[in-house]
Amino acid sequence: MRFDRFVRHALRAQFQGLPPRDEFMRHAIDAGVGSIALLTLLTVFSGMNLAVQAFGTFSRFGGQEMLGLFCGVGGIRELYPVMAAIVCGARIGATLAASLANMQISEQVEALEVMGIDPMRRLIAPRLWAVTLMLPLLCAYADAVGIVSSYVASVYQLGINGGVFISQVRDIVKFEDLAAGVLKGVIFGWLVALVACYHGYRAAKRDGAEGVGIATNRAIVHAAVLCIVINMLLSALMYT
Amino acid sequence: MPTADPAPAIVLDHVSKSFGSQCVLKEVSLVVPKGKIMVMLGPSGTGKSVLIRCLVGLIKPDSGRIFVFGDEITSLDETSARDRDRLFALRRRFGMLFQDGALFDDMTVGENVAFPMRQHTKWSETKIRESVTDNLKRVGLPGAADKMPSELSGGMRKRAAFARAIALRPDIVLCDEPSSGLDPVMSATLDDLILELHKTLGMTFVVISHDTAEARKIADYIGLLYRGSLQVYGPSAEILKSKQEHISQFLARETRGPIEVL
Repeated sequence: MRFDRFVRHALRAQFQGLPPRDEFMRHAIDAGVGSIALLTLLTVFSGMNLAVQAFGTFSRFGGQEMLGLFCGVGGIRELYPVMAAIVCGARIGATLAASLANMQISEQVEALEVMGIDPMRRLIAPRLWAVTLMLPLLCAYADAVGIVSSYVASVYQLGINGGVFISQVRDIVKFEDLAAGVLKGVIFGWLVALVACYHGYRAAKRDGAEGVGIATNRAIVHAAVLCIVINMLLSALMYT
Repeated sequence: MPTADPAPAIVLDHVSKSFGSQCVLKEVSLVVPKGKIMVMLGPSGTGKSVLIRCLVGLIKPDSGRIFVFGDEITSLDETSARDRDRLFALRRRFGMLFQDGALFDDMTVGENVAFPMRQHTKWSETKIRESVTDNLKRVGLPGAADKMPSELSGGMRKRAAFARAIALRPDIVLCDEPSSGLDPVMSATLDDLILELHKTLGMTFVVISHDTAEARKIADYIGLLYRGSLQVYGPSAEILKSKQEHISQFLARETRGPIEVL
């Protein structure tokens, strides 16, 4: 199936009514809860690293007290949403693509069709909704964990005044920035799910086990590249 | 077109299908009467699976028409939302046993069998559970409801898939190579199951196979497909006695004859 046709069918299926609850819940829990541990680990170290790297540079010209500004802007506006999208996107996208490709190869999708059930409504719509709703929550969670980690590193490791750090974050990070991060999450979530579902769904029986690997690989690579490119365009739109 | 039966379940009228330059079905015409078992024989790679997929609209023929209980399935365009709904409604008259079962591997066997009921009926959970138990008992898997498909052997998977295929008592059951990959005893068990279900539920069966013993045992009608062309088709008693060279070679398991090894 061509990508444009797949997108048309997927959009129609997604907005045709509520998705099947069991499938939606399963994928929402997998995408959300299943990503928490990985995202926490990576965001803690990225948030701390952001503070340490910025401190090393800013202290050369006496700007170390501006750490809160940098961590707020760089982290919440850019790093954490993209990181959540790419890391969780890779994890979630790989799962979606592999499961759908496996269903195609083992004729489970055809079985649905023969039962008179639209696979787009049954399989694609709940996956799209689950990831589109979960990724913004993961972005918001990454914002919170990341900024706390930067605070901990700045105050307890680098000796920055905690009150100054917090007031700078408050000054620079507006509600719009947090909202923009969440909005990016919605867009990234939908894109990651769409690309993963497309590659999984277009696998064919003749592709065999290799087809699952190919679909997974393409889903991860294409979703990551799309997220980075779209992030650049969104940042250009929002902040210039 | 062959002579029309008073109550045909399926009619194929000059159906052709090609993939690129490869012609998979050439002008295939046949009639499957209601309530009969039709076995389509043929060597591997001769278009049997394409034929069965054409019957349910999974593959659209390039030309020709297919009627299911009088409704033309080939005129329905899957890209149109309206036709799609009609196509899905028509497909609900079918149950299909796939070659490897195609059980949903994230559901238990019981959930697999219950799935079409939950999707297409408003039955209570109690009635669904009773029906699942009854269907699994029919196929000889009374205690398998809580097992995952990965815990089953090949034969058990096929029988579980059978229970799912007949869950809504479809008018037509399509079986894609039911005996492939099974030992002779398990194949015979599945054949008995088809006969038993046919006898008790009166469904029409279309069985794709290359197993001549299976055809002899269960078929009311036999066809032979070779390189996309229907070489013979008719009541099994006639076909089994036929001197037509393709079917004679196939039934006698001869290497010499018009059927070449691909």
